[in-house]
Amino acid sequence: MKKIFLIMSVLLIFLMGCGQGKKETTVFTVLNGAEPPTLDPALSEDNVSHNILLGLFEGLLVYNPQTNNGAPGVAESWTVSNEGKTYTFTLRTNAKWSDGTPITAKTVVDSWLRTLNPETASPYAWMMGMVVQGANEYNSGEAGADAVQIKAIDDHTFQMDMVGPIPYVESMLPHTIFGIVPVHTIEKFGDKWTLPENMVCNGPFVLKEWEPQDHVTVVKSKTYWDAENVKLDEIVYIPSDDNNTRLNMYKNGEADWMFQGMPLDQIDVLKQRPDYQVIPQLATYFYEFNHTKPPFNDVRIRQALSMAIDRQTLVDKVTRGGQIATNEVTPPMPGYVPPEGNGYNLEKAKELLAQAGYPDGKGFPDSTILYNTSEAHKIIAEFIQQQWEQKLGISISIENAEWKTVLARGKEQDFNILRMGWIGDYQDPNTFLELFQTDAGQNYGKYSNPEFDALIRQAATMPGGTERFNVLKKAEQILIAQDQGIAPVYYYVNQDLIDLTKWGGWYTTIMGWHPPKYIYKK
Amino acid sequence: MTKYIIRRLIGLIPTMFIIITISFFIIRIAPGGPFDKDKRYPPEIIKNMEKKYHYDEPILIQYARYMLDILKGDLGLSSAYPDHDVNYFVSRSLPKSVFIGIIALCIAVISGIGVSIISAAKQNSWIDYTAMSVAVFGITIPLFVVGPLLMYICAIRLHWLPTSGWIDGKYGWVTLIMPVITLSLPYFAYIARLSRASILEILRSDYIRTARAKGLSEPVILFKHVLKGSLLPVVSYLGPAMAGIVTGSVVVEKIFRIPGIGHFFVQAAFNRDYFLLMGTVIVYAVILLMANFIVDILYGFLDPRISYK
Amino acid sequence: MKNKNQHQPEHQFNQSIKRTSLFLDAVRRLRKNKMAVAGFIIVVIYAVISLSAPLLPIHSYKFQILDHRFLPPSIKSAGKILLERERARLLTQAKNAGRDTLLPDELEKLETYEQKLRSDTTIKDGKPIRTFGRIYLLGTDSLGRDLLARIIYGGQVSIAIGLIGSITSILIGTCIGAIAGYMGGKTDYLITRFIDIMYSLPYMMLVIILMALFGRGILNLFFALAFVSWLTVARVVRGQIISLKNSEFIEAARSIGAGNLRIVFKHLVPNTLGIIVVFTTLTIPNFIMMEAFLSFLGLGVQAPFATWGSLIQESVDGMDLFPWRLFFPAITMVLFLFAMNFFGDGLRDALDPQLKNKL
Repeated sequence: MKKIFLIMSVLLIFLMGCGQGKKETTVFTVLNGAEPPTLDPALSEDNVSHNILLGLFEGLLVYNPQTNNGAPGVAESWTVSNEGKTYTFTLRTNAKWSDGTPITAKTVVDSWLRTLNPETASPYAWMMGMVVQGANEYNSGEAGADAVQIKAIDDHTFQMDMVGPIPYVESMLPHTIFGIVPVHTIEKFGDKWTLPENMVCNGPFVLKEWEPQDHVTVVKSKTYWDAENVKLDEIVYIPSDDNNTRLNMYKNGEADWMFQGMPLDQIDVLKQRPDYQVIPQLATYFYEFNHTKPPFNDVRIRQALSMAIDRQTLVDKVTRGGQIATNEVTPPMPGYVPPEGNGYNLEKAKELLAQAGYPDGKGFPDSTILYNTSEAHKIIAEFIQQQWEQKLGISISIENAEWKTVLARGKEQDFNILRMGWIGDYQDPNTFLELFQTDAGQNYGKYSNPEFDALIRQAATMPGGTERFNVLKKAEQILIAQDQGIAPVYYYVNQDLIDLTKWGGWYTTIMGWHPPKYIYKK
Repeated sequence: MTKYIIRRLIGLIPTMFIIITISFFIIRIAPGGPFDKDKRYPPEIIKNMEKKYHYDEPILIQYARYMLDILKGDLGLSSAYPDHDVNYFVSRSLPKSVFIGIIALCIAVISGIGVSIISAAKQNSWIDYTAMSVAVFGITIPLFVVGPLLMYICAIRLHWLPTSGWIDGKYGWVTLIMPVITLSLPYFAYIARLSRASILEILRSDYIRTARAKGLSEPVILFKHVLKGSLLPVVSYLGPAMAGIVTGSVVVEKIFRIPGIGHFFVQAAFNRDYFLLMGTVIVYAVILLMANFIVDILYGFLDPRISYK
Repeated sequence: MKNKNQHQPEHQFNQSIKRTSLFLDAVRRLRKNKMAVAGFIIVVIYAVISLSAPLLPIHSYKFQILDHRFLPPSIKSAGKILLERERARLLTQAKNAGRDTLLPDELEKLETYEQKLRSDTTIKDGKPIRTFGRIYLLGTDSLGRDLLARIIYGGQVSIAIGLIGSITSILIGTCIGAIAGYMGGKTDYLITRFIDIMYSLPYMMLVIILMALFGRGILNLFFALAFVSWLTVARVVRGQIISLKNSEFIEAARSIGAGNLRIVFKHLVPNTLGIIVVFTTLTIPNFIMMEAFLSFLGLGVQAPFATWGSLIQESVDGMDLFPWRLFFPAITMVLFLFAMNFFGDGLRDALDPQLKNKL
């Protein structure tokens, strides 16, 4: 056996030697979390495909690599008019597809209409509906394509009318759902247009290979308008959802960037590494209460339970990855500081519990925490279970199920306490707060407070600025302090392994988007 | 014989039909649908997506449509991976699983039977006990431990092998070593133990006693009379085992990044990706039925007492 | 252990004929087999320990002391280990700064750390308990729970699953396999097709549906296991029976007018017992690990209760850093399986119809 290994390793060294003999190309290997479900910008709904699409396509706006706000992409510049409700974009003249076809304002209109077309069945079309006037009507089949208020004024001027003044629209527009797609090849190849042999792109990279479950390889585009500033020659995205394997690959030098999914047991060691990057993320981990059934329809119970969770100990000693303990649901954002929620306060918790009729937890009905199966969710639930048991005298059991079962049970309010998390779609408190409106789909616990709903609706009509933030802040105060509609636990962090002494142009950002255009080898 | 084979093959069609029908309906009962995601979409969007996959039609019409599609050789669209259809995934990934599965199976069968002969011949010797211990370890320690352990030792500690990947990657064939070892270990253990027990059983039987009485030499007895008969339980076991191993072990594929079909079995079930799941069920069922069919034919060769009418 | 006897021909002259029931006879022979007895004793010890877990002087399987997480196995108290760790840390720090000994203020820091450790208490069930002197023989897990207690408690479910899985698979699998093999023809065809269908149905979805309908009880877990456990056994037994049913001794039994049932269960099945027993002892770990898979879907025991399967599963990611978390549950299982194997082999020899009435 040893001999075989020896021969193999000699062979290996030989093979690797051959690779180095070639002309120097800069290859960047990314451990992407899973197999990308799609490379069609209109159908993408997850960060795995989003990561790849950031290199393949360029929308009107792109993510600024350092702030993840909107920056000029295909649109060179834009003007806002009509009280912030109309955007007029000037498109750059040298933008074209990788087959040479130029991109005009008409391409943008056609792309967006394709995304909204009910037959495309785009899952994120709702996001366009939040912005573009008439988009929802067309997407739901109530009106025709002409209802959508976007138009090509001339070849290089594109105009859209919005449903209202949306102050955060510029941080939404780089999202792939607003992407520009090659309508001319889609007409030709239909559903098969994203296969490597058919696909044309307008971003800094073009698709070279896509072998399902194995790899996606993209190479530098020659037709990209800013090609001279693209430093990487090739990016290989490896779809693996086995975190242990991913980490081993990274440690072994088989990959350059691993994002998310660090095995929990390895965290303490990983934290010591210089190439371990941890950045607060625009995402919150929380427990939802079932407001439709006792005892969790009693605000005192909810507050008592929330106040008995020692979140700081949880993030320091259980999750350990640098997560930030929080009593609030919205992570701090530029200009917005969330109001203070109910923190760890054991005395108060016991008092509230007694007031609600369960002194020292006596007679508290059987309840469970429902979570989707995962090692991290499990030990967090175990920790919180012990907190409640030892500190309040309430014994609550914990229960896991696979994700779809959890979602199905959530939809039917078939739970007592439900673990949930939310990653913000754009940088504005609204992406978190709108989840808890009475009729919002994501509101599994059926939290309902008309005052809260009214404030969210009011904010939607206001122009950006402190005043709007104050309204949202008041809404959040009702949600998390007054009503304790949910129990926030911590803000997620982006955990990345990337050697920043070797790679440049990769910045730590709250949204966690790292456009590959800017990444270079030092 | 030929008549028997043909009759059996035709007999597989109704079985296939039953499997497809039952599966088609039960997977729809499971809680959660293909479009229940982290983000809960507005009903209009769900409606559009359901329309695309015809999930909005009555279930019997969907069933009829699906059966017609299968007859045409079309396994439908994947709802979790909308860019590809199920045929594409199956045609890409099944050959890889079959390839690695057959290698592992050959290794398991050859080494398993080899070890069993030695340990049966030297029953209760140290060789026997060592072989048994390896087998017990091989079965007790699950694949999801053996795989990472091998990877840790061979790739991280000793740097002998790359961690994972398929043969067309930059490391070539060496990537197959660890997954094949991992995959074959439990099958090796089963085969070794089953075949040893069976050899011992036969060594005690009347006809071997007769052979001994006739004065035949031990090796002749062992190889000519004992081995052939003793393969019977191994072959019975191999029917389902083969179907399992060539349609890909989810665990091994996940750990060593083998782009095989095993991954889709689990992923499709978790995603409630109905047509992809049906596709994997059909692939598995076809292979299983064929494997069991071959096993039944082999019985006749291994044991002349078995006759088919 | 088998002796050389089997190589000697058996005939009516060297057998002492003594009428005795098959069962008593088997027990008598089983008791003579030392390895089998040892195996049996180990299995009994396992069962007794895990069943009497609440009475044993061990820690709680679920009480967490977060400061004691990831402690290695040791006979030293947790407080001492933490103290040594801190001293070692300070020493390396000092070494890096070019010193061989600790500075006075560092010693003082150590002193206060010790004071703190010694006085540390945590609330358990309403009473404060000191944490310094706790000893974890097999180490602790990621939440500072005692691994020994978790393995012992985990045995309760895991052993039950192993045994129930194998017993149901023997009972159902042998009966159905034997009937299919013996009857042949239409019956065989229908049974084998039924088995094929059972194999092919998407098991994971069945389990998910089962849970949605009946909840996640331990009985449902057993049912989910029993549902598929017998399939391979049935196929193996069927193969054996097909081969045996044309043997001379079956012809003989038939010619003296033995009924079908008698032939199958009195003559055919005992002759395939060796294979059945080996196969079943081999599948025990499968059932134990399958529990871990089923608990991934949410079926079966709930955290913080542990099983051997879940202990092994959750230790894989950290096996280079905390090897004891993998090693001890794994070795517990291996030992159990060895015992079951020896016991099984002994059982098989004891029940061997060819050795009936032999001393």
